[in-house]
Amino acid sequence: MNLLVIRSIDARILMGITMFVGIMILVGWVAINEEARMQAFVRQHTGRSIERGAELYASLCSECHGEDGYGAGDRAPGLNNPHLFGFDPVGEQTVAITTANRTLVRLTEDTEKLLAEFTDTENPPGADRQDEILAQLDKLEAQIAEQQALIETAVAERVATLETLDTAVDNGLFPLWDSVVDIETTGDDEVEIFFNSNGTRLAQVGWAGDLHGYVVTTLIHGRPGSARVYPNSTGMAAWSQTAGGPLRQDQIEDLAAYIINWDKGANWTSEDFLAVAQYGKPLADGSLPSEPPPPPAGDNVAGILARWAEMEIVGSPATGELLYDAEFGCTDCHRNGASAPDTVGTVARIRTERLTMPQFTSYTIEEYIVESITRPGDFVVDGYSSGLMPANFGARMTDQQLADIVSYLLTQE
Amino acid sequence: MSILPFPSFLDDVKEKGFKKAVFEGIDDSVERLTAGLNVQDLREAFRGENPSRRPNPRLTPHADGFWLHMRPSYFNRDVTGMYPSFRLGWLSTYFVFFETITGILLMLWYTPSPEIAYGDMLTILSNVPLGQLMRDMHRLGAEFMVAVVALHMMRTWITGSYKKPRQFTWFSGLLLLVLTGFLSFSGYLLPWDQLSLWAVTIGASMAEATPVVGDQVNLLLRGAPELGANGLLRFYLLHVLALPALLFVMTGVHYYKVIIHGHSLPPQRENIGEDSAKRVPLDRRVYFIPDVLTNEMMWLGAVTFIITVLCIWFYHAPLENHADPQVTPLGTTAPWYFLWIQGALKLGDKFVWGVAFPSIALGALALLPYLDVTPSRRYAHRRFMLTLAMLLVSATTILSYMGLAKFAVQTSAETEIVHELTFEPAHSKVGTGRTIPFDQMIVGAYTTAQLHGRDDMSAAELIAEINAETQANGQFAQMLDELKNQHVGANQLPLRFRTIPEDEAPKLMQVMEEFEHHLAQEPIELPDVWGALVITDNQAGLKRLDWVVSWDSVLIEGGEVMMDDAGEPIIVFASEQVPMLDDAGEPMMDDAGEPMMQEMPMLDEAGNPIPERRIFSDHLFIHQESAYFD
Repeated sequence: MNLLVIRSIDARILMGITMFVGIMILVGWVAINEEARMQAFVRQHTGRSIERGAELYASLCSECHGEDGYGAGDRAPGLNNPHLFGFDPVGEQTVAITTANRTLVRLTEDTEKLLAEFTDTENPPGADRQDEILAQLDKLEAQIAEQQALIETAVAERVATLETLDTAVDNGLFPLWDSVVDIETTGDDEVEIFFNSNGTRLAQVGWAGDLHGYVVTTLIHGRPGSARVYPNSTGMAAWSQTAGGPLRQDQIEDLAAYIINWDKGANWTSEDFLAVAQYGKPLADGSLPSEPPPPPAGDNVAGILARWAEMEIVGSPATGELLYDAEFGCTDCHRNGASAPDTVGTVARIRTERLTMPQFTSYTIEEYIVESITRPGDFVVDGYSSGLMPANFGARMTDQQLADIVSYLLTQE
Repeated sequence: MSILPFPSFLDDVKEKGFKKAVFEGIDDSVERLTAGLNVQDLREAFRGENPSRRPNPRLTPHADGFWLHMRPSYFNRDVTGMYPSFRLGWLSTYFVFFETITGILLMLWYTPSPEIAYGDMLTILSNVPLGQLMRDMHRLGAEFMVAVVALHMMRTWITGSYKKPRQFTWFSGLLLLVLTGFLSFSGYLLPWDQLSLWAVTIGASMAEATPVVGDQVNLLLRGAPELGANGLLRFYLLHVLALPALLFVMTGVHYYKVIIHGHSLPPQRENIGEDSAKRVPLDRRVYFIPDVLTNEMMWLGAVTFIITVLCIWFYHAPLENHADPQVTPLGTTAPWYFLWIQGALKLGDKFVWGVAFPSIALGALALLPYLDVTPSRRYAHRRFMLTLAMLLVSATTILSYMGLAKFAVQTSAETEIVHELTFEPAHSKVGTGRTIPFDQMIVGAYTTAQLHGRDDMSAAELIAEINAETQANGQFAQMLDELKNQHVGANQLPLRFRTIPEDEAPKLMQVMEEFEHHLAQEPIELPDVWGALVITDNQAGLKRLDWVVSWDSVLIEGGEVMMDDAGEPIIVFASEQVPMLDDAGEPMMDDAGEPMMQEMPMLDEAGNPIPERRIFSDHLFIHQESAYFD
């Protein structure tokens, strides 16, 4: 029975043809559905991009821009901010006033035409026509009054809305407001012009591109000057690797996707201005702005040790162990000595093996450990790969955390 | 005289008439294209009739044509079915071509640069019609190819086909196995996602353990001390140029050797010590044209059909987040076919187990035909070699199991449990916490303590009690502190636990039950534990899920929980700094006049020490379009 699996040549040919036709049908069916699948993928990918952006935002940005994007502690502007997304609080009224003004112009022209006809001495209208003109003039008069009432209402509404934004304006929502506009006396056209060039963040800074470009550019290059605007700010860092920061371009895009996801589109209201911290509202719970977080330890070994001595920072081995095991996951690699030196016996090995090496003669054990954590690339123990240990622990740990971990490692004889 | 100034088809028409001239012209062209078969020959062949011409025209394409010059014109019918080859050699060749075709299509859309590669993957998935299908097929084909080639080797071992005169065939096949492994491995890096970067980092770090030249080998491979732009380019060139070129050449060599010696027969079909593969009696001959040819075309269709079906409904090539050298994912492993080396590495020294052991193992395999020189291929006579084959399979399986992340790599229980709930999609799996439908993520704080099982109380009463308890002993406040540290907005913090809304959110309930189940598995490392899930709104269409574990701290040394004499875990008790008192009850002062402090255990009202409470948390953001739950 050990023969061609299907014995009859006809059956083989039929089977083969069926299979090839089957493949064509299947691939064709996939092809028909590709458009929908690709669109679904884009939606899904955008969603996940926003998720990653949220993660980056929570860990990198929320300290200054606020967990909810309203800004925090006078350190940075709110981003969950109608102004940023181009919401004009009085846009509706401005449109109403403009439309009514155009109608008024037309009505006035009509009135003038009728009056001219009525008073034409060379070619005076007949008695019937005179009655007709008078009736029309009455009608136009009513319409003009109607439009003027509309404008009045809209202007009143605009004044009311702007009054509710007083605090925001006082806090710099429209920096040029006082020099340009007096809401009582300034003409409607001028107010309209003012909002055209100040109503949104992009207009204020004269940004010709779109919001996405504005956000991405700001993320890439930072905003060093913001220290002059926000008293507790040290200036926004340049976040992109292209500008010397830590983030890759895809991470910048994720962050931008998250920030732009705050846009409510047509659903912004002028109340939303008042939720933004910088526009003068105290924080939601009435509390004072929180202290900025302690700075990271960095990778200047001598500097770190000097700071510890000066600020009397003492590590706790128990806390250090928690940080070592869980928070920073050191034991994931530093166990058994398979991929990195074992945690157990650290001190003994440093004392007997490392510090006897010529380059470490002047080192203390503590100094050696601090250097190993903050500058793992400087020296790699024989037999282990370089580059496996992340080089950014100095940037992720505070002095206290680093001291805790060092004190824990000092217990590992 | 010719009509045109040179002899032409028109002369034929004039001479024979149009119809005859056309038919003869077609016949002639077909015979040239097939290198020997005219229309009538083909018709007979595919009808299963005997050839009407002599000599047999079905042999000429093998003798005169290029495409079939290496294919034998007939086979022994004993080797044309499933047994003894299981068609594994044919399948391996199939995948060589399958991978080449799908690979070339993918190359059209790919740039080997760390800045662009991942974006290209997204483009293939989002903007290239059939792009996803091509990628799935290429990836699945690669996994199959490794498996098929390895199985092909085991089959050769089991049927004893490596024996004289096929020693070199075996050796060339072994080279092909290694090439296949490297081809698959080098392709792993190209998507430049987390899965690629870390699997390849682990794999490439083995090269570093090579004595003397380890660093140089590593540098050559990666192009820099760390995998980056150069490393990616090198892996790409290996993947699309160097390795395929070698693979094609070696495939030719291997097949040439197979044909020179003939396909080995099933062991029981020939006399011991005799190699009769080349002498095929007339009555056992199955001719390539038409039988084997139709058979292979049928298989070609069938296998491609199966792969198409698998890639449409059952398999999608993984694509994780963008590669990030700063973030090591928990549970990183090498690709499955290198897991055995990773498992061996856990046995001890990196050089011995990571370099020497695989090299010796491969060397021993290469030498196999020269070491086992017994003439008989019968199963009954080869008990030792068959046992060895089974041992090899068992050892590889066990080592591969040991290579899994869960084996002998200890991560603390709370990290492991939360990871199970939160991990990003990888290897067609996803953390169960991500599978809760968006509309079932109802804002609030929920605790697994509710599920501890108190039948005498309703869920609402139970939650009220838990709230009272955790507020009183400070555990709830500790959780809030942890959430604040993790940047949950102050006005988002929960005030108390809510009952899990089982009716509106059955999946949420299910995940909480799973959370509880995992926590209950760790009574030693996590005594008196409860878990919590805090769901908060973050943006429109975006929720944040914080997973919290709270437990009594136990003494852990070297990754092991320390036990007391009674076999109970040793609890760590909370302590505080209190002033030292002298006999008179006055605070003692040190030389500087500061009160002297000492660490004392904290006691509760009954005078019992209070265990130190530990807390761990991790969080996810879930967007409603992310569709983890599909």
